[in-house]
Amino acid sequence: MSSAVRIAREEWRQWLRSRLAVLSFAVFTILLLVTTVLTTLDVQEARHLRLHQQGQAEEAFYSQPDRHPHRMVHYGHYVFRTPPPLAMFEPGVDSVTGQSLFLEGHRQNSAMFADARAEPRAGGFGPLSPAKLYHLFLPLLIIALGHGVILREREARTLGPLLSQGVTGAHLYRGKLLALGALVGFLSLPALFSSIAATALGESLIASMMLYIANVLYLGIWAALALSVSIATRARGVALGILSAVWVLTVLVVPRVGVTSASATLPTEGKILTDMRMNDDLRKLGDGHNASDPAFAQLRTDLLAQYNVNRVEDLPVNFRGIVASKSETDLTATLNAYAEKRMKRELAQAGHLAAYGLVSPYLAVGGASRHLAGTDLETHHRFLREAETARYEFVQGLNKAHIEKLSYVDDMNRNNGEEGGRRARIDAANWQVLEEFRFTPDSANERISRATSKLTWLVLWFLVLVCFGLISARRLTP
Amino acid sequence: MTAIVVQDLRVSRGGTEVLKGISFSVDPGSVYALLGGNGAGKSTTLLTLLGFLTPDSGSASVLDNDVTQCVSRVRQQIAYLPEAATLYPHLNAYENLEYFLDLAGRKTTQLELDQALDEVGLQLESRSRHMEDYSKGMRQKVAISLAILRETPVLLLDEPTSGLDPVAIDEFNALVRNLAGLGKSILMVTHDVYGACQVANRIGLLRRGQLVGSFDAPAGERIETDRVHATFAERATA
Amino acid sequence: MMREFKFMLRDKAVWVWLSLAFVFSLAAVSLGLNEVSQQNAEIAELKQLDRAERRTNLAAQADWGSAAYYTFHITYDPPSDFAYAAIGQRDVSPWKHRIRMLALEGQIYETDANNPDFALVGRFDFAFVASLIAPLLVVLLLFDLRSGEQVAGRLRLIEASAASGAKLWWSRAGLRVSALAVALCVPLIAGGLVSGAPILTLAFCVGAVCVYLAFWTMLTLLLAPATRTGAYNLTTMLGTWLLLCAVVPAILTQLIERVVPLPDGGEIVLAQREAVNDAWDLPREATYEPFLQRYPQWADHTAWNDEDGFEWKWYYAFQQVGDQTAEPLSQSYRVGQARRDELARWSSLISPATLMQRTMERLAGTDMQAAIDYEQDVRQFHGVLRDWYYARLFKAEVFDADVAIETIPTFDPVGR
Repeated sequence: MSSAVRIAREEWRQWLRSRLAVLSFAVFTILLLVTTVLTTLDVQEARHLRLHQQGQAEEAFYSQPDRHPHRMVHYGHYVFRTPPPLAMFEPGVDSVTGQSLFLEGHRQNSAMFADARAEPRAGGFGPLSPAKLYHLFLPLLIIALGHGVILREREARTLGPLLSQGVTGAHLYRGKLLALGALVGFLSLPALFSSIAATALGESLIASMMLYIANVLYLGIWAALALSVSIATRARGVALGILSAVWVLTVLVVPRVGVTSASATLPTEGKILTDMRMNDDLRKLGDGHNASDPAFAQLRTDLLAQYNVNRVEDLPVNFRGIVASKSETDLTATLNAYAEKRMKRELAQAGHLAAYGLVSPYLAVGGASRHLAGTDLETHHRFLREAETARYEFVQGLNKAHIEKLSYVDDMNRNNGEEGGRRARIDAANWQVLEEFRFTPDSANERISRATSKLTWLVLWFLVLVCFGLISARRLTP
Repeated sequence: MTAIVVQDLRVSRGGTEVLKGISFSVDPGSVYALLGGNGAGKSTTLLTLLGFLTPDSGSASVLDNDVTQCVSRVRQQIAYLPEAATLYPHLNAYENLEYFLDLAGRKTTQLELDQALDEVGLQLESRSRHMEDYSKGMRQKVAISLAILRETPVLLLDEPTSGLDPVAIDEFNALVRNLAGLGKSILMVTHDVYGACQVANRIGLLRRGQLVGSFDAPAGERIETDRVHATFAERATA
Repeated sequence: MMREFKFMLRDKAVWVWLSLAFVFSLAAVSLGLNEVSQQNAEIAELKQLDRAERRTNLAAQADWGSAAYYTFHITYDPPSDFAYAAIGQRDVSPWKHRIRMLALEGQIYETDANNPDFALVGRFDFAFVASLIAPLLVVLLLFDLRSGEQVAGRLRLIEASAASGAKLWWSRAGLRVSALAVALCVPLIAGGLVSGAPILTLAFCVGAVCVYLAFWTMLTLLLAPATRTGAYNLTTMLGTWLLLCAVVPAILTQLIERVVPLPDGGEIVLAQREAVNDAWDLPREATYEPFLQRYPQWADHTAWNDEDGFEWKWYYAFQQVGDQTAEPLSQSYRVGQARRDELARWSSLISPATLMQRTMERLAGTDMQAAIDYEQDVRQFHGVLRDWYYARLFKAEVFDADVAIETIPTFDPVGR
C-alpha cells in the first residue's frame, strides 16, 4: 500500500472516531439527500405541469369560435418554459424570472409572477437547492474536517516522528489531499445522482458530467485551501478563523458587493421610465387600431395608387388589416430595439459580476453551473426572444387573415348590430396559424462554451492552491 | 491555626474515585510536599482545595474556611501556581503581573513588581519582552513572582520544577524555603523525590488516592532522601 | 472592567473581527443609503415627468374617454427614512406603478424585473449583516474564550485568581460583544442621522441588534465549554449557525409555501383579459348588469347614443367588469400572500434569524405588509380615479382640458 493511501486511511479513521465529525458528516449527507430528492421531484412535476399547460393553452387557442381576427390578437396565448433536466440540481434563474409568458398583440409582456415574489419572508438564504448547498454550505464542512489534517499531527506531536521516518512533506500532502479528495468524492455523490438522473431524462451526458466535475472542482478548491492553511498555521483556532473569514468574504460578502458594484457601474433604467420613453416613440408610429390615424396616410396613398382605385373600400384587400399588420411590424421593431438594449445591458452587468469570480470561486461555480444546466440568464433571454418570435408570427398570421379573409366593408360595420358583428367574423380554422411552442435548452456544446471561462478559473484556482500547498508541504517542519 | 486541614477526603472524577479518604495538615510557615507517581491524585487534591472539585465526603479547609462553602474567601487566601504555567504570550512580564493581580483585586506599583521579580531573579532586560520569547524557567519565575505578589498566606504549587534545568531547580527550591521562612504555608505536589526532600518540612506519600507514608524533617535538618526514595519505590510499585 | 477592556485591546484577533464588522456595516449602510437616494431621485423624476406628460396628454384630448385612455398616473411608495437598513421586499415587489383607467388587474402585477443574476446572489444591506453575518462574528469572537485558556493551561490559574470565574467570563464575553455591537451600530446610527430616521426607530433597531447579539453570546458560551478544544467549539458553533440561519429559515419557507398554496398569478391576468376581450362580442347588457351591481348610481345613464357602435363608458364598464371577474382569484392571491406573511411572522418565534430580519424590515417599512399596503393604496387610488371619470363619462359632461388638468385626482402616498 502506498504511503499516500495509508495516510489517507488513517485520516479517515480519525474522522470516523470523532463524534463531531461523524455528526456533521451525517447532517450534511441528510441535507444533501433530502434537498436532492425534493428538488428532483419538484422539477419533475414542474416539467410535466408546464408541458401540460402548454398543450392546454394551444388547445384553448385552436378551439376558439369564429370571430373577428383582431379579437384573437388580443385573446393572446401563453407560452411556458419547461425547466431543463439539470434544473433538478441548479434551478437557476427560474424562480426569479417566472416560467411563463403571456403573448398578445402590440405589447411585450415581461415574465410575471415569479415564485420569489410571493415567497414568505422567513429570512436566511431562502429555499435550498442542491446547488445552493454545494456552493454555499458544503465548504463549511470541508473547512471543519479539513483544517486540522496537518495541524492535528502537529498538535499531537506526531509530525516530528512522521517526518523523521522518511515520510516527506510531499508524501504527507498527497496522503492528506487523498483523504480530503475521498471526502469530496463521497459528498459529491448526490450531485452525481442528479447528473445521471438528468442524463436519463435526455440531458446530454457531456453537459451533465461537466456540471458534476465543475462542482467537484469547486469542493476540491476548498479542500486544497483547507489543507494549505493547515500547513501554514500553527494552531487550529487560527486555521479555523482564517478559513471562516475566507468563507465569509468569498461566499457571503464579495458576491453581494459585486452585485452592487455592477448595478452602480452599469445602471438600468426603471421600467416606467423606459415605458414613458417608448410610448413617445410608439406614438409617432400611429395607433394600429385606427386606420384613419394620419401616420398611415402615406400607406393609404401608396396602396390606392398600387391598385389603381380611389377608395379604400375598393381595394381587394382589407385596409384595416394592412394597417394593423404594418403597425405591428413597426411597433415590434421598436419594442425589440428596447428589449435588445435591456438584454445587452443585463449581459454586461452579468459580465461585470462574473469578473468578481476571479476572487470568489463561489461566483465562478454558480455561473458555470447555471450555464451548464441551461438555467442561466442567456437561456432566459433566448426564451424571451423565441417567445417574441412566436408572438410576432401568430399576430401577423392573424393580421394576414384579417387582410385576406375579411372585407373592409364588413370590417367597418363590425359594431353595427348583431348582423354586422356576425359578418365581421372569420372561420376558426384560421386559428391554426399559431404554431406549437416547445422551449428546449441550448445544445451541450453551446452551454459548455459559455461556461468555459468560469471553468478555467476554477481549474486555475485549484492548481494554484495545490501548487502552493505542495511547495509549503516540502518545507514542512515539525 | 493550621493553614490547611484535610480530613478523610474522598473525591471522584468522571465516575471513578480518585482520592480515597486522605487526611493531612499543613502548619503555618512550613512546606508540605505531597509526593506521588502519575495518577496518584496529587492535582486532584489541589483542585479540591481551590474549590474546582467537590468532595464526595470528608472535608478540607484553608485557614479554617471550608473549601466547599466559602470558595471565594479560600481563593483569596491562596496563590496557585499551575503546572507549566503559561501566562499570556502576547504580554510582557509586567503586563501579565498587572493583569492577573488586578484580576485578584490587588493594585501594585512598578516598584513592587520589580522587587518581586528581583526576588525570583528574573533579569531586568527580559522583563519588558513578550513572554512568548521566554524560556520555561523564566516563565516559572514570573509565575512564582505572581504568587509572591498576591501576598497570600498560602501557596499551592503544582509540579513547580518539572521541565526546569538543574540550576533553575536549585534556585527555585531556595526561593520556596525562603518564602516558608517568611511565614508562608506551602503545599506542593511533585513526583521529584530529591526536590521534595530539599524543601519540605514534611512529606506525604500518595499512592492511588491514599496516603501510604509520612516523613518529618528533624528540626533544622532535611529529610533523608534515601529513606524516602526507598519507601517511594517500594510502596509505589507494590 | 477597565482591566478587561485594556486586555481586549491587546488581542489582535479581536481587532481583526471588529474591523471586519465595522467595514461590513459601513459598506452595507452606505450602499443602502445610496439605494434609497436613487429610489427617491427616481420617484422625484417620475413625478415631474408624470405631471408634464399628463398635462400634454390631457390638453390633446377631445373627450373624457380618450383622456382616461391616454393619461397615466404615477403611484409610488417612497422609501422610509430607515429603509437604508433593510431594502427587504422592495427588491421583489414593485414600489411604483404607472396606472390608467383600464382594468387594474392587467396593470398591478407589472414590476421592474431586476437582473435575475443579481436576485440570485442577494443584497448586501444592514439587515443581512446584522441577521446573518453578525452571529458568525459573535461566534468567532467567543468560541475560544475559555477553551483557548484551557489549552494554554491558564484556565485554572485565572479562575483561582479571580473571585468568581463566571463573572469574569461574562465580562470578557460581554465586552467583546459590546464592542461588536458598537462597531455594527455606529455606521447604522450615522446613516440614520444622515437620512433623518426617527430616533425611536434607531433606538429600537440598536436594541434589537443588542438582544440578538446577546442571544448568540449566550448560545456560544453555552455550547462552547472550556473542556472542549477551540476547533471543536468552532465547528459546533458553525453548525449551529448553519442550522439557525440557513436550514431552519429554508425549511420554514418551504413549509409555509406548501401549507398556503397561492393561485397561479397568471390565471388572474388571464381571467381579466378574457373577460375584457369577450365583452366586445357580448350584448351590452351582459356588461352593464354586473357593472351596475357595483355602481347602481349610473343605472339611468347607460343609454346608447353613439351611432358608431362604440361608447367609452361601455368600454370602461367592461374594463371594470374584467376586474370584477378576476376579483375572487386576485383576492385569494392577496389573502394567501397575507396568510403566508402571517405564518412567517409566527414562525419567527422559533427562528431567531427570521425574527431579526423581519424586525428590521418592519422598522424599515420594507416588509411584505408594506408591499401589501402599497398595493392597497394603488387599488384605492384607481377606485378614486374611476369614480371621478365615471361621473364625467356617464353624465356625458363636455370635456374641458383645463378643468381636467386642475381637478384630476393625483396619488398621495401620505394618505396611508
